[in-house]
Amino acid sequence: MTQHAAGRARTLDSVDAVVDTDAHVTESVDQLLEYMDPADEGLRRIIEDAAHPEHDIYSVAHPTPPFIHTDAFGDVYGDHPTGTVEAKRSEMAEFGLDYSVLNPTLGLALATVNNDRAAVALAKAYNAWILDQFVDDGQGDILTPVLVPPQAPDKAAEIIDDRADEPGVVGVQIPSTGLVPPPGHRWYDPLYEAAEENDLPVMFHSGSGATADIFPVLRKWAETYAEDHAMVHPFTAMWNLTSMLFQAVPERFPDLQFVFQEAGVGWIPYTKWRLDDHYLELSDEVPGLEQLPSKYIDERFHFSTQPLGYTGDHPDHLAKMIELVGPETLMYSSDLPHPDFDPPEELYDRVRGHLDDEAVRGIMGETATDVFDLS
Amino acid sequence: MSDGGRRHRVARAEEVAEPGDRVIVDVGGQEVAVFNVDGDLHALPNFCPHQAAPLCEGDLTGRMVVGEDGWSWEYVQRGEVVTCPWHGWKFDVTTGENVKDEAVAVPHYEVERDGGDVVVLR
Ligand code: FES
Repeated sequence: MTQHAAGRARTLDSVDAVVDTDAHVTESVDQLLEYMDPADEGLRRIIEDAAHPEHDIYSVAHPTPPFIHTDAFGDVYGDHPTGTVEAKRSEMAEFGLDYSVLNPTLGLALATVNNDRAAVALAKAYNAWILDQFVDDGQGDILTPVLVPPQAPDKAAEIIDDRADEPGVVGVQIPSTGLVPPPGHRWYDPLYEAAEENDLPVMFHSGSGATADIFPVLRKWAETYAEDHAMVHPFTAMWNLTSMLFQAVPERFPDLQFVFQEAGVGWIPYTKWRLDDHYLELSDEVPGLEQLPSKYIDERFHFSTQPLGYTGDHPDHLAKMIELVGPETLMYSSDLPHPDFDPPEELYDRVRGHLDDEAVRGIMGETATDVFDLS
Repeated sequence: MSDGGRRHRVARAEEVAEPGDRVIVDVGGQEVAVFNVDGDLHALPNFCPHQAAPLCEGDLTGRMVVGEDGWSWEYVQRGEVVTCPWHGWKFDVTTGENVKDEAVAVPHYEVERDGGDVVVLR
């Protein structure tokens, strides 16, 4: 590791376990191809033939290159590639993270893969790779959801059934930007059914690689990555949450738990107020719901905290915002190694002394221990 | 029109003779609506707990529920639900409860027919 590792003053004194509920790997297409099922050889050959598989297999496009001022997709600190378990453990050691729940980077754009068979093969390859390279060493501190292709909910259900019982599998990841139809639609019922039956939470992580042409973020007229990236995450989360609640997914799958990732916290109170308001005013359009949308959110939804945003002008506002959201629905996340990451102190220093110790311990790790069944 | 402090003679029975009929009357300084729902009389204050609209001047409607099959949308309680004219909150006239959140409710007053009079108990 680098000079960063030594001498960082740790301040997380009252917290036993810090769980990073949204940590990333930066997988390459080549790594996935190595782990592709031999039965998918024909698809592997097609993908190998693509000069630019991120564009000719996936449809990733950005208005300007992502995070050009930092090494997001290569190496955060200059001496480690980030697509390895050694790099991940270095980050965990440096930032004092006891557990990491991993998410993909390129895989966040899985919904942009036009060919359904390719999307299924890539998801399966990713799961084989992440389990083998990061999770299967028996240490138990690195965990992963099963990545599923939203294009093929029936195949997604098979993937879930296949992987659910493997050690270190703690959820189902649905890359959530660019979902067509949106995730409240019954199209996804087989996927939700499989997650519910296997007792795994469904996780929704948005991504700016998937904003090319689908609501809620049409990248076409964003002139910069800054514009695109600032809004893709909250807009994706608001649209997906609205779709799922008003189409009564929590009523239709009463044992399913939901995790939303990468949108921060400030959008949640506004969205709760807005959904509750529409529930009461347009009640004939939400017959499937039996209670205020905010009640489902409080009972069954969790949110990872990063990106918190810049709160330096009024440091106390973050704790107030978390009180509005409901501290028990929040779980700390770093987003490492992406360069908009939040070290744990960014959250902890703002909430300790404002929230009671139990709430602070819950946000930093205990709630996640429960949601992902980590003990 | 009060009778014994709690009994208020507010209207003639023929004013709310038919299902769907309603009258809005003054009961001790408060506007109260008397509705005929399937022949039974119910009374609610003419006041919406949301933003104080004249609730009982809104349409008498039904409400939507999901059918037994989990798929169909069925329209039920026709003529039993008053829809606030301002923002559309819906209240069950037979209980006073908001149809989507029972924690939000208006008082529901008993109503009797006494001879040719309508009597609100409040
Ligand atoms: S005042 Fe009745 S719904 Fe707003």
